[in-house]
Amino acid sequence: MLRYLALRLLTVVPTLLVIATLAFVLLHLTPGGPFDSDHHLLPQIQHSIEARFHLDEPLWRQYLRYLGDLARGDLGPSYQYRNTSVNHIIATGLPVDLIVGGTALSLSLLLGGALGLLAASHPGTFLDRVPMSVASLGMAVPVFVVAPLLILVFALRLHWLPSGDWVAGSWRHVLLPALALALPYSAYIARIVRASALEVMSSPFILSARAKGLPTHTILLRHALRPTLLPLISFLGPTIAGVLTGSIVVETVFGLPGVGRYFVTGALNRDYTLVCGLTLLYGGLIVLCNLGVDLCHAWLDPRVRRAL
Amino acid sequence: MSRALPGRLVALGLLALSGCGAGTPAPGDAGESLRVGSSLAAEQELVRAIDGGGVRTLDPALSTDVPAEHVLDDLFEGLTRLDQAGEPAPGVASSWESSPDGLTWTFHLRPALWSNGVTIKADDFVYGWRRTVDPKSASDVAQMLAPVRGALEISAGRAAPTTLGIEAVDERTVRVHLTAPTPYLLALLAKAYTYPQYAPAIEAFGENWTAPEHMVGNGAFVLREHVIGGRLTLTRNPQYWDAPRVHLTKVVYLPLDRAVQTDRFFAGDVAFTDSFSAEQTAWLRSRLGSQVVSAPYLGNFVLGINAQRPPFAGNRALRLALTMAVDREMLVRYVRQGLYQAAWTPTPPLSGYPAPVPAWASLSALERHAQARRYYALAGYSAAHPLRVELDYPTDTDNRRTYEAVAAMWRTNLGAEVSTYNAEFRVQLGERHLRKLALFHYAWIGDYPDPYTFLQLFRAGNGYNDGGYYSGRYEALLAQADAEANATRRLQLLSQAEAVLNDDVACIPLYYYASRHLIKSYLRGWTSNIQDRNLSQYLYVLAHEGR
Repeated sequence: MLRYLALRLLTVVPTLLVIATLAFVLLHLTPGGPFDSDHHLLPQIQHSIEARFHLDEPLWRQYLRYLGDLARGDLGPSYQYRNTSVNHIIATGLPVDLIVGGTALSLSLLLGGALGLLAASHPGTFLDRVPMSVASLGMAVPVFVVAPLLILVFALRLHWLPSGDWVAGSWRHVLLPALALALPYSAYIARIVRASALEVMSSPFILSARAKGLPTHTILLRHALRPTLLPLISFLGPTIAGVLTGSIVVETVFGLPGVGRYFVTGALNRDYTLVCGLTLLYGGLIVLCNLGVDLCHAWLDPRVRRAL
Repeated sequence: MSRALPGRLVALGLLALSGCGAGTPAPGDAGESLRVGSSLAAEQELVRAIDGGGVRTLDPALSTDVPAEHVLDDLFEGLTRLDQAGEPAPGVASSWESSPDGLTWTFHLRPALWSNGVTIKADDFVYGWRRTVDPKSASDVAQMLAPVRGALEISAGRAAPTTLGIEAVDERTVRVHLTAPTPYLLALLAKAYTYPQYAPAIEAFGENWTAPEHMVGNGAFVLREHVIGGRLTLTRNPQYWDAPRVHLTKVVYLPLDRAVQTDRFFAGDVAFTDSFSAEQTAWLRSRLGSQVVSAPYLGNFVLGINAQRPPFAGNRALRLALTMAVDREMLVRYVRQGLYQAAWTPTPPLSGYPAPVPAWASLSALERHAQARRYYALAGYSAAHPLRVELDYPTDTDNRRTYEAVAAMWRTNLGAEVSTYNAEFRVQLGERHLRKLALFHYAWIGDYPDPYTFLQLFRAGNGYNDGGYYSGRYEALLAQADAEANATRRLQLLSQAEAVLNDDVACIPLYYYASRHLIKSYLRGWTSNIQDRNLSQYLYVLAHEGR
């Protein structure tokens, strides 16, 4: 098991290297550069700016320089936010996304899990159909509709919560964006939990547990719960990485200073270092979450554990 | 100037359903009302929205974006500052004089302090200007100092920064040497790249000197908080020379997407928005009345023509046919909700400038179309042999509406088959600079309130002359204007040059931009001006009830 963990951790480095290389090459292949502007710069000035950021060097040397900086944990200077390093942008923006995303994840697990189990325990009844219809709606309605509606109801009409902005340490400012982000995920989770629970409850080993005469709560907690969680955990791996790195829509609507929108604005501005840095962050999180998923699988499923 | 970033995808139009409203006296206001008194409010604090792209840097030597310009207007002050009407007025310099040839200007500084209490000296200006043009700063605003002697040579690395045409005659006197008479110099002196810079902070903290804990400024406000990509909090600077006349004690700048700004205005969180969606104009006016403010802005929306490529090269008749066949009033009324002003010539209306409007502009639409069809035929096109050309523009909903309407006008009025094609901004810009495009989006926001900021674009050798326009007569008139020290005669020469441009149909002007804001009726002290810059030091809050 430890050997497996060590091996998996070792693969993280080459994976990140591939991600960094792909991001670097793709960004440099895109037409246009970070300092193109409708104020056409004099060639000499353009050159001095490019020299300042080593953009005048051959691409292979820029690449090696970039890898060298990465090895030291330096993601480089942002080209658009002058005087600011990518490390600093991520260090100030990521906590916002971690708080909002973490709250959203907890909310969606609570809400989705409860609804899914409720539906699964009453299959085909009113208590199944209503939560599942609501879940379908939750998946279908995009965040850019849900978020303004939440603002309309809770901020503009009821005046319960602020309509946006970020105040460090204020839970009131976290609630609406977290809810907007959580609703679609709750819907997915509810459906996954319901399907998985129904499948597990009708499987032969549960039947034999029933045949043995075990009480329902023992069947649910000791035998059914763990296999039910398996598909949910597979789903949560990439989801956690996505939720924690922010959402451009939620950040825009609520005016949050997170890092999610830089995925788009950074790419449009050809802010190579910023986009590479964020891609690495996202890639690294995905790799780690997937590792976590595999470990959870091993813990939950003895068959997987034996295969390791 | 910077572009809006694509947060606009968020369709907050939904909030049109909201029953909230504000404003007195707002006609049709059904929601809670805002009652405004006539005395000053006890709390003088303001939240202003800026473009969602946010502030990219607060370093005056590097800053290029519009959101940062508003913040820097509050944090620093140049030799001049903008007055309440947006005109240059004495700033750190209390008086000045220029030599008869207009090439040497001498500025006398008033006793003024940096935000840390140190006296501002002439050397602080010399240091700042040299730092801006120094290639080591790698500044993309360096060339804005081009009128100053030696600036371009220094930026190009061919001369030392110490050779820049600015000197400290004594502690309180700054002398500036120019390459040509520059009547708009006083406006340039209120721009960030000409602000003084405080050397000890920059030397001690390097790139980090713009952080709130290190920044030393000389404006009416000081920076207290700067969340990257988020809010900026400013408080009144007690050291500012005109501090007794500053009412606001605190100003918060919030970078917000345009649609979100409107929503936050209704919520009462923001008192001064940077913009609003043009499509919502009528609805906003019915809700907010006089709190919806729109005024002419120093920018044009123009179609560029490639003078070196077919079908336009050497075909003036075709260019004339196209420009005459556009119904600008219809565009302005139906596509831009009446906010913008129709344009017949590239330069927007500027006080004292006789804009050369072509004679055909005064014809009725029917007469114009008839003439356009004659020119179209003269150019060699007909129903059997229609003009087929591509119109290129950067991806944007407003652009798409405008250019599809223009293409439809050409189809209806001439029978021309113009297809529209959009690409991402930087991709299109690259193609345009390579002069690959025949007909393209060519909008420009002026850098200073003078026709030259628009006319320079058509000069041979200008990096932005993407249509490759050249006219010997145009060059000669501009060269004459460059050397002309008399302001009135200079403007006449510029007007003659612009007439040449129009005569050659170097471009197709469509309309001039307008600034648009939502401003709470309790906020006073602002004036609509063509540069759309309102310094927070003039603003004040009246006592009011409601949000």
